[in-house]
Amino acid sequence: MTTRRFFLAGLLAASAAPNLSWAAAGDPAYIAAAKTPDGRFALFGLDPEGATLFQLPLPARGHAGAGHPTRAEAVAFARRPGHFALVIDCVGGAVIRTLTPPEGRQFNGHGVYVENGARLLTVEQMADTSAGVIGIWDVEAGYLRVGEFATHGIGPHDLRLMGDGRTLVGANGGIATDPSDRTKLNIDTMRPNLSYFDLDGRLLETIELEPELWQNSIRHLALGPDGQVGFAMQWEGAPDAATPLLGLHRRGEAPVLASAPLADELAMKGYAGSIAFSGDGSEIAISSPRGGRLHRFAPDGSFLGAVSRADVCGLATHPAGYLASDGLGGLIAVGAQGTRPLGRQDCAWDNHIVSLQS
Amino acid sequence: MRLPALLLSLTLAAPAFGGVSEALEQDILPGFAGFAEAARTLAETAEADCTAPSVRPAYNAAFDAWLAVGDLRLGPSETAALSIAFWPDDRGFTQRTVTKMVAQQDPVVDDPARFAEASIAAKGLFALEMLLYDPAFSGYDAHSYSCRYVQAASIELARQAQALNADWEEFAKVLETAGAPDNATYMSDDEAIRALYTQLLSGLEFTADSRLGRPLGTFDKPRPKLAEARRSGRSLRNVLLSTEAAEQLAHALVDHDLPQVDAASDNIKKAAQSIDKKDLSGVSDPQSRLRVEILQQQVQSMRRAVETEIGTALGISAGFNSQDGD
Repeated sequence: MTTRRFFLAGLLAASAAPNLSWAAAGDPAYIAAAKTPDGRFALFGLDPEGATLFQLPLPARGHAGAGHPTRAEAVAFARRPGHFALVIDCVGGAVIRTLTPPEGRQFNGHGVYVENGARLLTVEQMADTSAGVIGIWDVEAGYLRVGEFATHGIGPHDLRLMGDGRTLVGANGGIATDPSDRTKLNIDTMRPNLSYFDLDGRLLETIELEPELWQNSIRHLALGPDGQVGFAMQWEGAPDAATPLLGLHRRGEAPVLASAPLADELAMKGYAGSIAFSGDGSEIAISSPRGGRLHRFAPDGSFLGAVSRADVCGLATHPAGYLASDGLGGLIAVGAQGTRPLGRQDCAWDNHIVSLQS
Repeated sequence: MRLPALLLSLTLAAPAFGGVSEALEQDILPGFAGFAEAARTLAETAEADCTAPSVRPAYNAAFDAWLAVGDLRLGPSETAALSIAFWPDDRGFTQRTVTKMVAQQDPVVDDPARFAEASIAAKGLFALEMLLYDPAFSGYDAHSYSCRYVQAASIELARQAQALNADWEEFAKVLETAGAPDNATYMSDDEAIRALYTQLLSGLEFTADSRLGRPLGTFDKPRPKLAEARRSGRSLRNVLLSTEAAEQLAHALVDHDLPQVDAASDNIKKAAQSIDKKDLSGVSDPQSRLRVEILQQQVQSMRRAVETEIGTALGISAGFNSQDGD
């Protein structure tokens, strides 16, 4: 019963250019990596209710990934310092390509398809200086490295394509790391920023926070309606500083920092791991696996409430609000009205859920 | 509410363990009820005579009662614990806030509803400690602003304690119905045990790293003034009571013997007996500093014993994402 599909998928994988659409992979709404009970790693395709549509083996623990906008193809990035990224055929399960960064560069765990999937952009840093680079790959030519441009910052992390399809927003986390073991090298002098580029890499705008917040590493991004960008931060300074972990920005304006009441802020342990806008765009949330909680905010930065869940980290836009995943295998729908468990699988969900709709 | 626990003990094979309901009913819920009772007595005492010498015994009784459950940081306690005991406070928020309140005679102390909304640095056990023990404040007389502040803070503490007790009665149901279809906090029965076990570990870590680690600082730079509750001379007592609470919770959580945990507990008591300065100010003297370091090592031993005798037995490991940031 699987023979025809299997044969077909194998044939296409062998030809290295499968052009099957996401429908052939069951139309997943999300992809997410996880550790399975046998200690191995896998990439899952999930429907909006958290049901597994496919499960494909990964050779190692991943960080985040990106889904091709039309073809059933996903890129899974290795954890930092990333020496490879895998392009996976989500129908047949084959690794179509293994991408390796050019000499002296390392993948930083995130990337995004642009130009309707004609190109893949990968977030990288120079191994020796941690200076940020965006790598450009020609997808049609079989993921050929065709160029790169600077992120204008140190230790870049997340990168998103904005709603206009022409503007990129990137988080320069500011942290220089040792190329071999990720040891942080410049905590006292770090200086993160949020930068906007066009697809040719021209810097359009860059913002920084006040100097007392330079130890707040800007790491993960979410896009809201009307060009609003949410950025999630990780505090590298003295513990219990209760600094804001969420920022909101619109081009040409000053960023708005969003804080929770002191006791809630302290419970986040200075760490936001993922960020997403809600399904209707009316609110935004950040997660803290260290605090075992997520915080919801209004687009003006006011605090809406907290949801507790052990080891919660993955967070994505969901019709009910958000989809949250955790290291205990739980998938939970979180909305303004409360939480609804979707299911618990025998796996540990990794840091991020990648939404295929945006 | 007993049913889920019953199912749990039937479905999980060896090693057998007591479980969540036992921990709640034998240890945690009585602990919060006891704190609510002690806080009410404190409020009544302050109401009758708000001068420091009169209030101190009831204050200490309330702090003792708090330590039975004070290291729990889940459910209602996740944020409420900080507004009852706002510590660590390296930046001195409490001192600044109390100083300002007294200097400005802030009328918020005469309005219980507004005082309930006041900053967590203005209330709770550590604001009260400042007023009752710090020489800059504690000499107040019966008709002073500080006396009214002590009354307001005591009443607010009693209100919070009562609310926390009631909230825990509700939250206990969430823990006990772990795995029920609508329970998004604990999606299987083992998650509730895991949650309580994690609290055990983090409580002991807090005692070793913060209650003892902060004043210890480094050999070259000890920080005696960072000791918890040093003004009331409770620093060492807090270490003892919090580790006792951990030991009790450990025993309530499993139904097998815990010889290593018990041995660590005995060693903690012995190590504490050799420390003469109850506010841990001996950390500045090389000889007595060593005794505090030994106490810290014994608390760390207890943590390891909990890992060995409970964590390994239950097959629980550290969080996948919380241990691996990016």
